[in-house]
Amino acid sequence: MGRSYIVDELVEKYLVNLKTIDASYITGLLIGQFSPQKDFVVLAARTPPKEKEAGGSSSDGGGMVSSLDDIDVQWVSEHAKQVSHMLPGSLAVLGVFLVHPPELSKEAQNSLRRLIFAVDKRLSKGRLWKLTEDDVPERVMLQICSKTRKAICRTFDVQDPKSSAKPADWKYQAGVSASWQVLQCSVDLDVLFPMAETSSSNLDKCTKDGLQRWANQIETSICLINGKRLPDHFDVTAGQKKNSKAAQSKLQAQILIPTKVGLKADQRSTASVQACKGFLTMKGVMHCRAYIHSNKPRACQAVEAIKRDLMNTVSCRTEMLFEDLFMNEGSSDRGAVSGQQPLPQRVFAPVPGTGFCICDYMFPDESLVDVSERFKEMLDCDILEETIDTTQEAALKQSNIVDNSEECTDNITSEMPTEAPENQRSLQTYVGVAVATGVALLATAASLLYLSD
Amino acid sequence: MVVADAGTIIFRVRGGLELTCQLDNADGSHVQQALSRAFKSLSSRVRSESLVFSVSNSSVFIWPNKAVHIIPEEVTEDTPCRDIQQHIQVDENESSKRSSKKKDKKSPTTSVINIDLMMEVTGPAPLAAASLSRVNRKHHFVRMTLPVDCAALVQKDDSIGAVSGRLVGALCDQLTDMEKVVLQHSKGTSLLVPQPFHFLLPEPAGLVTVVYPAGVPDSQLESVRKDLHRRFELPDDRPYLRRANAFHFPDEPYKDGYLRNPHTALNHPSMEDAKPYLVQGVYSYHHYMQDRMDDNGWGCAYRSLQTICSWFQQQGYVDRDVPTHREIQQALVDVGDKPAAFVGSRQWIGSIEVQAVLDHLLGVTSKILFVSQGSELPSKGRELANHFQTEGTPIMIGGGVLAHTILGVVWSETTGQIKFLILDPHYTGGEDLQIITDKGWCGWKGPEFWDQNAYYNLCMPQRPKTI
Repeated sequence: MGRSYIVDELVEKYLVNLKTIDASYITGLLIGQFSPQKDFVVLAARTPPKEKEAGGSSSDGGGMVSSLDDIDVQWVSEHAKQVSHMLPGSLAVLGVFLVHPPELSKEAQNSLRRLIFAVDKRLSKGRLWKLTEDDVPERVMLQICSKTRKAICRTFDVQDPKSSAKPADWKYQAGVSASWQVLQCSVDLDVLFPMAETSSSNLDKCTKDGLQRWANQIETSICLINGKRLPDHFDVTAGQKKNSKAAQSKLQAQILIPTKVGLKADQRSTASVQACKGFLTMKGVMHCRAYIHSNKPRACQAVEAIKRDLMNTVSCRTEMLFEDLFMNEGSSDRGAVSGQQPLPQRVFAPVPGTGFCICDYMFPDESLVDVSERFKEMLDCDILEETIDTTQEAALKQSNIVDNSEECTDNITSEMPTEAPENQRSLQTYVGVAVATGVALLATAASLLYLSD
Repeated sequence: MVVADAGTIIFRVRGGLELTCQLDNADGSHVQQALSRAFKSLSSRVRSESLVFSVSNSSVFIWPNKAVHIIPEEVTEDTPCRDIQQHIQVDENESSKRSSKKKDKKSPTTSVINIDLMMEVTGPAPLAAASLSRVNRKHHFVRMTLPVDCAALVQKDDSIGAVSGRLVGALCDQLTDMEKVVLQHSKGTSLLVPQPFHFLLPEPAGLVTVVYPAGVPDSQLESVRKDLHRRFELPDDRPYLRRANAFHFPDEPYKDGYLRNPHTALNHPSMEDAKPYLVQGVYSYHHYMQDRMDDNGWGCAYRSLQTICSWFQQQGYVDRDVPTHREIQQALVDVGDKPAAFVGSRQWIGSIEVQAVLDHLLGVTSKILFVSQGSELPSKGRELANHFQTEGTPIMIGGGVLAHTILGVVWSETTGQIKFLILDPHYTGGEDLQIITDKGWCGWKGPEFWDQNAYYNLCMPQRPKTI
């Protein structure tokens, strides 16, 4: 008995239309929702082509590729990471697909196995929440022969490094996400990170520590759904009108954080005092969202999904900010930026023909065109700019670059940077940054902290 | 212990509010200002709409500052608070332990409703753009979790809305008290955590909460207590506000496992024209075989002494734990009463030794009352009655080959009739109140209980005159 995958017909259509013209093989990601009994696949996205067509392609047109060894595993993993930023709660990368020529079918499974483990490793990095027993450890691989269009579906257990391929069921169905409910909330954040007076290597740790501390609070929080505390195994679809053509059912989440003191044994008799050189504050309202599937979804799963979405959106935004600063600093003479930095604004866009939205993050100097282009690049989705919803969060209209170490207030107008590099947040730049992740994060944190004076 | 009449409920809200502040230097006035700002910010959080009271073991959540919004819907702000109890799921283990029928009849325990403090982070707040700000400033970053703990004695018919409002007020008042205490005891950037303690004082004061700085022993807080004794019009010769005097909430089991005041499960014997004169306050029942110490046959006086020591500890007179057999023996060696070989032996001790140990280890003096024959004990009725009225301490009585503890008498001034409330240290079983009271290990005995021909010595400990 293997896992079952219920796959939307749109995914079938997408896979069928993928043409192996430029490259003899195509890799890509399978996106959807886990659930205890079966998983739902609602989106597929091919790995974006690299700027230089290296490996796996015949840029001169013609000539077959002899092996799948040159699949750029890092490239695929990084794509998965970027895609995961675009998925609201409960949606995740479920696996990898590979369209290959018949002669490479023997290698296909091995390559897919490598990809699956690499993708999982990349996605686990920087996560603020821990996997639990309820999390499904299987990931799916789908290999499609480009000639016969025959598809083989298997799963691997990513928690078992010696895992072998297990058979799985792949079924197409129409409107898999049509009756999905959406659970959402807006979270008011106010988190403080003291920056200790030590070498650069600890600055990274400070933000990480601070974020982990905050995330631990979220993990222990209580979540109300539509103003009620539901028992863990409560079926969230109860009460939902079946077959209604009404608008998608929206559920409101409320997150309550306990303020427990903890065990008497752990209690201190004095305040903790830390010598610091400064501090960071993260403030603002962030919108969180999770999609609830329609197959006996339990309240505890919905609660976990929205909490994880909150933790993901916070960690990915701070990551993006640091990376953005690193790139900016590298490319201009402005020196270290300081004062108040806007975190990117989260925007949502419905995926045509489905019941869910994907999301992206917009810096103040970006436009909806940039967002639309990224949706195309990462998820191979054609999203019209006018369908992108920017109303869920507020944005600082202009970027603020203030010289001094004083705390600054909102709405300071200042000069726009002279040239915003065109769509600097493409996958290519991320891979470059990812290679030196450790150093990058340190450098940005350092630049954020130390003024050029 | 009966707190008040059966028409009251205790509401207790607890939580940890995180106080953070940045101290640029250790200068006193700067520290005061920084702390003041930090406390003000906590106060406004407590008064904000994000504050949530979660009733423990229930699905009731109250937003006291949001026009008292409550879930589930059937509970409104006008609901009498006794109705909240219906929503609480009692832990099954707890309710089966309290099976003693006698106890329920004699003293209905006042119910306690516990509330956990929570903060809501979601809400229809005006959308504020998210940003990361950096401030460059050398400073000392101070962080501490304030263990807020407020209790209110309310009438069963009071509305939950009113009670919630009271609790919010109490939280704010406590923050003010905490601020004072933190400032008073601050040394540069070193700050002590303020800890609240509840005390049940004689009317009209009732249930009050005092904040003490952590780590500062009671002995150094005497002037604080003097002020409070004055404020609450308390006698100035016995402790009411030491940490050990803290109110014991009816729903919290004692962690050490000893039974407290088993005599309260008993009914007084009916006697014509007689009044009861009982031990005051709280003691623990110490007896044979406890603490994995097999002292069956020789340790009865030691156990009675332990019961007395437990009384002095729980009334706040001493900080030290109840001494072990070994510590008791060592004390007697230290005062020269016994040779060194005494330690580790199974030798009996008597009232004189008990008096010596109380003096040496606890600084407590005791009067010795000698009775040449057991049959004469009833004639000491007046003295015993006086003792319980003024000192109210347990009495150790040794004679013949046995030692017991006297916890009180029922005595008639007119007829001279008397009965003795005895706590027997010879019990070898477990801490089962039902067995102990049913089988008379704690029970009322008549004059025939004593060996009519043996002589007896009574050790009657005196309360030190201190607060």
